[in-house]
Amino acid sequence: MSKATDEQAAPAEEQGNRSAVAYESVPGTVQPDEPGDGQAPRRTYELEDTGFREVPKRWRKFYRVWQGPGDSLAPNEIICPVCKVVIRSHREFRPGDRAYCMPCMSRMIVVRMPDGTLGAEVIYQ
Amino acid sequence: MTADVSPAFEPHQLDEEEFLREVHSFSFWFEAVEGYLEGRPYGADPELADEPMDGDDRDRLITTLCNYCVGEVTALEASSGLVRLAPNHHSRIFLATQVADEARHVEVFLRRLDDLGVLDGEAEVRARANPRLEEFRQRVLEMVDRGDWEAAVFAQNVLLESMEDTVFRFHASIADPVTRQVLEGVIADERRHLGFGENDLGRRLARDPAGRERLAAIRAELDPLVLGSFDGVYRDLGLSRADQPSLGRDYLAAVERLGLTT
Repeated sequence: MSKATDEQAAPAEEQGNRSAVAYESVPGTVQPDEPGDGQAPRRTYELEDTGFREVPKRWRKFYRVWQGPGDSLAPNEIICPVCKVVIRSHREFRPGDRAYCMPCMSRMIVVRMPDGTLGAEVIYQ
Repeated sequence: MTADVSPAFEPHQLDEEEFLREVHSFSFWFEAVEGYLEGRPYGADPELADEPMDGDDRDRLITTLCNYCVGEVTALEASSGLVRLAPNHHSRIFLATQVADEARHVEVFLRRLDDLGVLDGEAEVRARANPRLEEFRQRVLEMVDRGDWEAAVFAQNVLLESMEDTVFRFHASIADPVTRQVLEGVIADERRHLGFGENDLGRRLARDPAGRERLAAIRAELDPLVLGSFDGVYRDLGLSRADQPSLGRDYLAAVERLGLTT
C-alpha cells in the first residue's frame, strides 16, 4: 500500500463520533470520484453498531441517532432531512452521492450546503 | 431479499427499486420492530417501576394520553381504509404494517391509562378528546371514504404523523420513565409512516405538479385543526407558550420540500 493511500485513513479527531473508526484502506475500496478528476481519494471508515435498532440487524451500523447539540458529523455522515437520523457510509460522502435513509424510506443526494457542510436533498422521482 | 450482504456492501448501493422493495416489506418491518420492542410487551419494560406522580401531573398526563389515543385511532382507521386505495403492492404491504403499528399505539396508550388508574379508558378518551382533533379525524375519514388517496395520505402521513412525531419527541424528553419508553417505541414507528407519506406524495407531485395547488388548499384548511389541538397538548404538559418548542417546524419543512407552501 502506498504512503499516499495510507494517509487517506481519517484522523480520529475528524470522526466527530466515537463509532466511526478510521482504518487503513482495504485495497480497491478507496476510489477517486472519477479517474483523473483531481480529487483526493476518499477516506474509508469501519462502521460499528451504535445501538440504533430501527432497521434490521444487517443495516443497523449505517444509521445512528443524532444526539443534538454537542454531537457532530464525521465526513462519512449526513443527516436525513426527513426524519433526522444520521446516515452513515463506509466511505467519505461527497456532493452528488446517493444515500438512502432506511428508517424513513427516503432517497437523497448529498449536497454542499451554503455554510460549506454536507447536507442532503430528498429525491422523489 | 437479493441484495449483496458482504461486509463492504451498504444500503446506498442498492438499486432504487430494490431499496423500495426492501423498506416496504413485512420482513423489514418485523425485524425493525423486533429490534426496539423486544422485552417491552406493552411498550415498556415490565420491570420498570412507575415514579410517584402528584394528582395534577397525573391528571394532565391522562388528558394528554387520551388525545394521543384520538390521534392514533384516527391513523388506525384511516390507514386500514387506505389499504384498499393503495396504488401498488409496495404501498399495500407497507400500509398493512402501518395498521399494525397504529393498533399497537392505541393499545399501549390505553394500557398506560390503566396504569394511571383510569377504569374505563374508552370513556375517558371520549370525555377528554380535544374537539378540534375529533373534527380532524372526521375530515380524514371522509377523505378515505371518498377514495381521495392524495388528500388522505397528506392529512394522515404528513400532517398528523409529523405533528405527532414533534410532540412525542418533546414529551419523551420530559416524561416519567415508563411513559418515555412507550413514546420512544411509538416515535420509531412514526419515522416510517411520515417517510412513506412524504415520499409517496413527492413522487406523485413530481409527475403531476398541478396537484400541489389542491393539496396546498387542503393543508390550509386542516392546519388550524391539528396545530391548534397539539397546542392544547403542550398546555396539558404544563408548559407556558414561551416554553413551547418551535411546534411544527419539521412539519413546515416537509411542506416546503413538497412545494405545498401557499
